Amino acid sequence: MPDTTSLLSYVVPLCATLLIIVGMAGMLHKNRRLQFVSTTALLAVIGMVSLYMFLNGLSAIIMDSLAVYQFSMFFVLLFSTALILVNLLSYGHSNDYLSFSMLMGFVAAGMFTVAMAYSLIAILLGIELMSLPTAFMILINGKHHVEAAMKLFVLAAISIAMIAFAIALIFPYSPSLLLTSNLVNSGMKGGYLIVLSMLLFVSGLSFDASLFPFNLWIPDVYQGAPGNITALLAGVNKKVAFVALFEVLFVVMLPYSPQFSVLFEILAVVTMFFGNMAALVQENVKRLFAYSAISQAGYIAIGFAAASQYGSEASIYQIAAHTFMIIGAFAVVLWLEEKNIKDLKDYNGLATSNGFAAFTLTIFMLSMIGIPPLMGFIGKFLLFTSAISAGEIILVVIAIVNSFISVYYYGKVIFAMYAKRPREQMSMDWTVATVAIICMLFVLLLGAYPQPFINAASIAAGSLSVL
Amino acid sequence: MIEPFPFIGLLLFSLAAGIVVTMISEETHSRRVGIIFSGFAMLIAFYMLYLGVTSGSINVSESYPYYIPTFGIQFLFQLTPVSFLLAFMATIVAFVTILAGNIDREEERIATSLILLFEFAAIGLFASSNLFLFFIFWDIGVIALFFMIYLLGSANRRRAAMKFIIYEIFASLLLLFGIILIYFYTPVHSFNINYIATNAYSIPGNMQTLIFLLFFVAFLTNMPVFPMHLWLPEAHTEASTQGSMLLSGILTKFGGYGMVLLFTMLPIGQAYSVYVAALATVSAFYISFMLMVQNDIKRIIAYTTIVEMSIILFGICAVNTVGTAGAAYAMLAHGFAIALLFLTAGSIKHIFAERDIRLLRGIVSNATSTAYVLLTGVLATTGIPLTAAFIGDILIFIGAVQAFSIYGAIPLVTIIMFGAYLYYVLNKSVFSAKEETSPVDYIGMPQKVGYAILLFFIFLFGLLPFVVLNFFNV
Repeated sequence: MPDTTSLLSYVVPLCATLLIIVGMAGMLHKNRRLQFVSTTALLAVIGMVSLYMFLNGLSAIIMDSLAVYQFSMFFVLLFSTALILVNLLSYGHSNDYLSFSMLMGFVAAGMFTVAMAYSLIAILLGIELMSLPTAFMILINGKHHVEAAMKLFVLAAISIAMIAFAIALIFPYSPSLLLTSNLVNSGMKGGYLIVLSMLLFVSGLSFDASLFPFNLWIPDVYQGAPGNITALLAGVNKKVAFVALFEVLFVVMLPYSPQFSVLFEILAVVTMFFGNMAALVQENVKRLFAYSAISQAGYIAIGFAAASQYGSEASIYQIAAHTFMIIGAFAVVLWLEEKNIKDLKDYNGLATSNGFAAFTLTIFMLSMIGIPPLMGFIGKFLLFTSAISAGEIILVVIAIVNSFISVYYYGKVIFAMYAKRPREQMSMDWTVATVAIICMLFVLLLGAYPQPFINAASIAAGSLSVL
Repeated sequence: MIEPFPFIGLLLFSLAAGIVVTMISEETHSRRVGIIFSGFAMLIAFYMLYLGVTSGSINVSESYPYYIPTFGIQFLFQLTPVSFLLAFMATIVAFVTILAGNIDREEERIATSLILLFEFAAIGLFASSNLFLFFIFWDIGVIALFFMIYLLGSANRRRAAMKFIIYEIFASLLLLFGIILIYFYTPVHSFNINYIATNAYSIPGNMQTLIFLLFFVAFLTNMPVFPMHLWLPEAHTEASTQGSMLLSGILTKFGGYGMVLLFTMLPIGQAYSVYVAALATVSAFYISFMLMVQNDIKRIIAYTTIVEMSIILFGICAVNTVGTAGAAYAMLAHGFAIALLFLTAGSIKHIFAERDIRLLRGIVSNATSTAYVLLTGVLATTGIPLTAAFIGDILIFIGAVQAFSIYGAIPLVTIIMFGAYLYYVLNKSVFSAKEETSPVDYIGMPQKVGYAILLFFIFLFGLLPFVVLNFFNV
């Protein structure tokens, strides 16, 4: 007789499947509101079930491909929360909400698959399921987005090919494709193929995680895509790639941690510098945030460079922090873009036309700089301490230099918004306002009282290491 | 000894409540709301001073159940004599700033709530017994003042605010790095200042030097002392009167208090004290010369801040009881005096619509009270006996002579140097009766009350120094 644990553990995959079915059904009944309510309800169910399973520490393996444990439940909870926010944004602002919602079903299923992955194939499928529909999402939302969609599509295909090749390379060493199976050295000296496979994994996932050499598409696509999809890309897709990196590096390739530690030191440094330097000269605010998201990915990579449980805890915290910051920021930017306010010079005097928008954007940007007591500061602090405890003082110095550089471009936006210019009042619609308020509350509360959330991140990191 | 009553919690809570109430109050009422809340804070601080004076010592510590075990952070507050004097000064300067600083009554709601936020940060910073909390309050204060300059300053405020925030964030990042390093190199990882002070000798020498340098440059930038002073004159010229009063009066004391902490915390500080003293001397002389070519009255006052802070740093790096007590006393005195000077400068700007000393003539005949208050403020800054700065300066130089023998008296010259220029300015602009600049407006009662409060404290601490000095066991 199946106990409640195993029954509950099927809820998340079941709801994810239902999300796809509901999404397709929406194309038939064509009722936007019904579609919005049903998808949000399903995501909420997923969120609550995962929260319950996280808090009670339940664990189960589903058909040798998905695993329920605290790490996966933490991220299922995070992604479902983020998807509810993005869904709300799209409900208010998508040209074609019904097709967005259908594609979001696939994307969500892919995200949950990656978060719960128990085998390498699940990771591959999840990434594929997630990135290809995103390209179509961009495509159907207006006519000027073809180039961005095309770029995303091609790069997603390349990244999937790389991951598939990486899996093929470690297959000879491994009795099975489960994450937990130990890699055995079957005669080939030094395991160079495993390191090569690791490089391919990191490169393949770097496309979505926006780490340095593979992130050149980010600004174009973020700028070209409509704001709600940019929020999805920056807020969730990117984080999914980091989750996959966690699963591959901290579980499968854990014996090779000295190697990936060095790799991520380099990636973190170049990504931070690339993102920050390029952001300095941007005039378009969406592009500026795209580059800032790249530099934030560099900070998250510091936790990987620390290659310890403390490091992964810090990265998990920063991933969650950046999710809320960037979704909130892109929500406001999306609304402004619809009012044809795109460039830095258009932002002049925003505070006089809508004080709330300027205030929330300021909070998000201060959090991205790492000003206490906001969530971004706690994340950066954890990352820096984890790197110092791993003995990487130089990396911390470079990260601090980068934080300092970032003050300039975030400051430019804040300056522009609070410049004294007479402007007419603009009122914000409720979807954007709700998303911004929820994200701001997360950033403020989890920054002012971080301990429960740090505990959660450390439980998640701990359960990953004993998987 | 003060009775166990949660004074600091009450102060912080009432100020936090004040920020919220000010933000939701109407524009016309917001200043009054701010006066009530900051006045309440001032009364609490005054009551604490009374209790401290009657019992002869200041020793407050409070803890709250807010606790982050991952970082070993507790909400643990304590007031040492140094931090108590600074927190006391901060409440009074902030009260006067809200009461009298905004002569033109512009943007009162945002200004008042920012001042309350800054006061909250300042009291939290001086009272925190934990480096992590110290850092958090530091950044809150910096951000509050950044918006104060940016939103309420004059024409070129954009550039000045940018310069200010870049210098200050640079300092705060160095501070953050230093704090993380100190956390990892103490035997039991801890941010607690008392714990670090007793266990810092076990940190390896190289690491102590690195930590010392990081903290030192951060506090040097904030104080500011040459060569990190470049943000200050510009920030002052562009900031509003309220912004200037808070900048010079309270923000620069963050760095000063940090220096006191640094030299008491890290034993390696002793080894570098001579070099620090040399830097402070150079700074005091260089800035005194810089001061003599300024014409903008606010700029002149801004430069005196740098000289004073250099002398205070000189007192701190003597690393003895007298020097430290003198530095704390001089910071207290400087807070009142400089707030008074900026308030009079703001009044002069308001009355004559002019700040250039080459164009201002005969202030005394058209703005008598402001002119005499300015005179008293200048006397108080230059450390004339009976004013608080005199006690501070004399203690600093006694401490410095103890530490550096006769060379400890060298920076005394700079006080005479900038004092001479200030008297020249007074002679030329304030008390020259040949020609007169015509006034365009008048100041009101709030400004005069503000003058009176600041003058009262300048003379109170000048006439009755021994009461407060008992705290230090000098």
